[in-house]
Amino acid sequence: MSSKVDGKVPAGDLSTMWTDQRFKMKLVNPANKRKHTVIVVGTGLAGASSAATLGELGYNVKAFCVHESPRRAHSVAAQGGINAAKNYQNDGDSIQRLFYDTIKGGDFRSREANVYRLAELSVNIIDQAVAQGVPLAREYGGLLSNRSFGGAQVSRTFYARGQTGQQLLLGAYSEMMRQVEAGTVKLYNRREMLELVVIDGKARGIITRNLLTGEIESHEADCVVMCTGGYSNVFFLSTNAMACAVTAAWKSHKKGAYFANPCFTQIHPTCIPVHGDIQSKLTLMSESLRNDGRVWVPQMKGDKRHPNEIPDSERDYYLERIYPSFGNLAPRDVSSRQAKFRCDEGRGVGETGQAVYLDFRDAINRLGRDKIAERYGNLFQMYEKITGENPYEQPMKIYPAPHYTMGGLWVDYNLMSTIPGLFVAGEANFSDHGANRLGASALMQGLADGYFVVPYTVGDYIAGNKMAPVTTDHEAFRSANQGVRSEIEKLLSIKGTRTVDSFHKELGRLMWEYCGMSRNEAGLKKALEEIPKIRKAFWSDVRIPGEADEVNTELEKACRVADFLELGELMCRDALERKESCGGHFREEYQTPDNEALRDDENFCHVSAWEWKGTDQPQELHKEKLSFENVKLSTRSYK
Amino acid sequence: MADKLINVKLKVWRQKGPKDQGSFKEYDAKNVSTSESFLEMLDQVNENLITKGEDPIVFDHDCREGICGSCGFMINGDAHGPQKSTTVCQLHMRAFKDGDVLVLEPWRASAFPIVKDLMVDRSALDRVISSGGYISTNAGGARDANSILIPKQDADEAMASATCIGCGACVASCKNASAALFTSAKISHMALLPQGQVERERRALLMVEQMDEEGFGACSSTGACSASCPKDISLTNIARMNREFLKASINKKPESSDSGGM
Amino acid sequence: MFSFLTSTVGKKYLMGLSGLIWTGFVFAHMAGNMLMFVSPDAYNIYGHNLVTGKLIYFVEGLLILALITHVVLAINLTLENRKARPSRYAMLGSKEKGSRWASRTMAIHGTIILIFIISHLITFKFGTYYETTVDGVVMRDLFRLMIEIFTQPVYLVWYFISLILLGFHLSHGVGSVFQSFGLLHPAYQPMIKTVSWVYAIVVVLGFLSQPIAVFLFHNNGGQA
Repeated sequence: MSSKVDGKVPAGDLSTMWTDQRFKMKLVNPANKRKHTVIVVGTGLAGASSAATLGELGYNVKAFCVHESPRRAHSVAAQGGINAAKNYQNDGDSIQRLFYDTIKGGDFRSREANVYRLAELSVNIIDQAVAQGVPLAREYGGLLSNRSFGGAQVSRTFYARGQTGQQLLLGAYSEMMRQVEAGTVKLYNRREMLELVVIDGKARGIITRNLLTGEIESHEADCVVMCTGGYSNVFFLSTNAMACAVTAAWKSHKKGAYFANPCFTQIHPTCIPVHGDIQSKLTLMSESLRNDGRVWVPQMKGDKRHPNEIPDSERDYYLERIYPSFGNLAPRDVSSRQAKFRCDEGRGVGETGQAVYLDFRDAINRLGRDKIAERYGNLFQMYEKITGENPYEQPMKIYPAPHYTMGGLWVDYNLMSTIPGLFVAGEANFSDHGANRLGASALMQGLADGYFVVPYTVGDYIAGNKMAPVTTDHEAFRSANQGVRSEIEKLLSIKGTRTVDSFHKELGRLMWEYCGMSRNEAGLKKALEEIPKIRKAFWSDVRIPGEADEVNTELEKACRVADFLELGELMCRDALERKESCGGHFREEYQTPDNEALRDDENFCHVSAWEWKGTDQPQELHKEKLSFENVKLSTRSYK
Repeated sequence: MADKLINVKLKVWRQKGPKDQGSFKEYDAKNVSTSESFLEMLDQVNENLITKGEDPIVFDHDCREGICGSCGFMINGDAHGPQKSTTVCQLHMRAFKDGDVLVLEPWRASAFPIVKDLMVDRSALDRVISSGGYISTNAGGARDANSILIPKQDADEAMASATCIGCGACVASCKNASAALFTSAKISHMALLPQGQVERERRALLMVEQMDEEGFGACSSTGACSASCPKDISLTNIARMNREFLKASINKKPESSDSGGM
Repeated sequence: MFSFLTSTVGKKYLMGLSGLIWTGFVFAHMAGNMLMFVSPDAYNIYGHNLVTGKLIYFVEGLLILALITHVVLAINLTLENRKARPSRYAMLGSKEKGSRWASRTMAIHGTIILIFIISHLITFKFGTYYETTVDGVVMRDLFRLMIEIFTQPVYLVWYFISLILLGFHLSHGVGSVFQSFGLLHPAYQPMIKTVSWVYAIVVVLGFLSQPIAVFLFHNNGGQA
């Protein structure tokens, strides 16, 4: 095991580990905090909560936001809810159980200590959110209300209508804006991080492009906290927002941060299917719909009848058939895969044959249309707006779509990457969800990292490291700044014939085909041959109109796609290397006789952390062995 | 519903930068599938423009599922287009007919300077929030969430106000470019909750003051804001803001600079 | 309190308050006019009592103060609002997403109503002084003046236009004062709308009944 991927998990019992660790941490004197500058990149849940909390503590925070306003970060789109082991329902929940569910849900590919801490902090998040005025749903008696989500047998999901992510983000955002007013946080909006600056082996700053003026700016700090989200947009079509990119993480990777488990991607089972070539983005339909909707396909291949004309005896409710105990609420990875199998068999529906039905007929008959409208009215309305079909009268058509990435920059227990001083929080790191994330756990992780982990570990780092003062005149800043300028000049000078999107789409189709819901050796090898070709074509034939010193949306996209074209290759290599199936990573060669994921704990119970070795050099693989001392490694079954 | 292909004519406001003169330019959007979203239609137009070597039309957008509040411009004089309770990104081409002429204009308000084409700068709204749109609470000090009881009706009403996405359609559709609906939604959200009581009056005073300072106009109660709001934020929020502001102005206490002393 | 009065919200309170004073006045004025249907003498006695009472100075003072406040603030707000939105859109939006005409055009009918008020004062209060004697008391014969004026077609047209605009002004003003005062509540919202319209229609019809009656019964320009 390489020493660089030492998770630095403290010794001792899980239940007191984080408390002990906090006691051992060095502290920064309150009067000295303002002398230390912390850069926070990204202002979604993890970023806004980090920036707000670091500001409250008194650090001098610089927060960078690619959007016009931090409130637009893609955390805003999370619908369903946020888990917390509050056990308000008295249904047997506990920190231990949330910990266990998350480890099992992640198919035993996450680090026990991190997950335990996450479960422990989950309860504080709800308290914090309520104190901020987040209007979480309430019962008539005034107590908080809960929902159930996939992969759990207790009700521990807190929610605010179908807009939980929005409300939690607005909570974190408003606290951050309070710090902006107080002068501890300086907000830099419409800035995209295009390079990390490392001095004496430590992260000391970033280079950003001002998206309004095109100016390339240098910012120095004592350390950098990166909260820049996931990379699902490598597939072009995903549920992620248009600006979601891997760029900040990738540039850090190229500066020495290891990239962990890049092939662990989550394909969400209930999205509105693709409708045509022009489609720019996929829309998620909340997992909560599977509480009352039944998933089916016709038994007959290529059955083109209207769904309402197909009698029950000719329908295959395949999730209920295969997983009788979890039924339609099987976890995301499992449900997505089964949908793909049905469509591969030729039993998919809709014009493209790439869809399955999610049917509310029985629920409407049982509960009445009004009850269904009360529960899902806004989702039904959204579905109708997008498809023009009325889901009260005919089943929804759904299909899986890329939604979340469990992989990300490798971090230790303190959420620090392999570059000292570079902390990574939220979806951008790899730490807590293993090979599959459970519903309602992303919000939990982002906020746990931001409110309760990073503020401590950043302080410990600052107190424990003497840092020479640097300015942006330092050679490292100058060369990084120049590097960014040259790359932009290079992109603009190509003046080829194809649009940025055409390359992105080509990459996306390839990734979806060979590194999507199921992967195999031949496909991955093919993709590894194709991606360099697309990359080469991109760098010789892309057409970017406009100039560098103005609003140039095509240039922004091009910078992002350039990085996706490199990341895609690493994802395929990682998928090829991991000769087992686990969670969202399904290798066709490794499956049980009834098509379930077949893990290989003997050889693959580790985190794959990839080290950048230079352009045109393959990355080097490091392995962090995962040990399970508190949970028994077992086969994950939802039957 | 069967998809159709339609052709529409666009008249789009093109403006190179904040200080440049803008003007309308005409574009043809041909063979647009009615199942496309409005922004996808613009993507298609842009792809053609880029291929022809022209500058694409710039507009703000991100989540494309109606929640981030990035997108928004006027379509034939309507903020976010003709459909009620819909953002531009959720508007689909089936709302239009073959041969339609669509005039696209950016939000127009002094407080929202035009950045480029259909993109404007709405950071004034962020400053309104930072002036007082929060409940001061440092991470770590919160008491148990269930120790604060909130009647369901109050929580629901607060949620209805908090659902604002900050897109600025209210300002854009108001003849006075007033931000009363936006500001009042935040004041209401927090005034309705027990956690928001301590700073209630201070918040109303500071947020209204900031709103005026940003150069938004006064509310004339025309109701255009609420009619254009993609999240159906109600006019009663504005009434509540006015009430809160009056009460706060009457009760106003001088803010002491004494921080406790030594 | 100064910052309250200079804020957009505070100004709307003052607009509403001064508007309400005139709203009350127009109703009383209209009701008083109805005495013409009793008899010319009743009409003239009413006018006489009004101007000889002590209350008139207070009421007139209040009305002038309210009018000045209303007009000055209206000018100030209109200018500020123009500054907040210097350019118009190329197209007017659809009905579903728009606002009512009356609410958008307050400044326009407001201006016309102001001109009307001034011209109305010139015509009546400071107009030809006819005398008449009722029960031995010499007083101004306003009834005669009224008949004289309402038989001039040009004035009639002007009067009709102004009063109808007043109706629109009231229909929006009365409704929106509840909003400005922070009294709007979802439960009463439809009622408030109805009340403001009914009020506006009653006031306007009341005023218009005068010239209509004159046209129907006094077309010869002579005595009643």
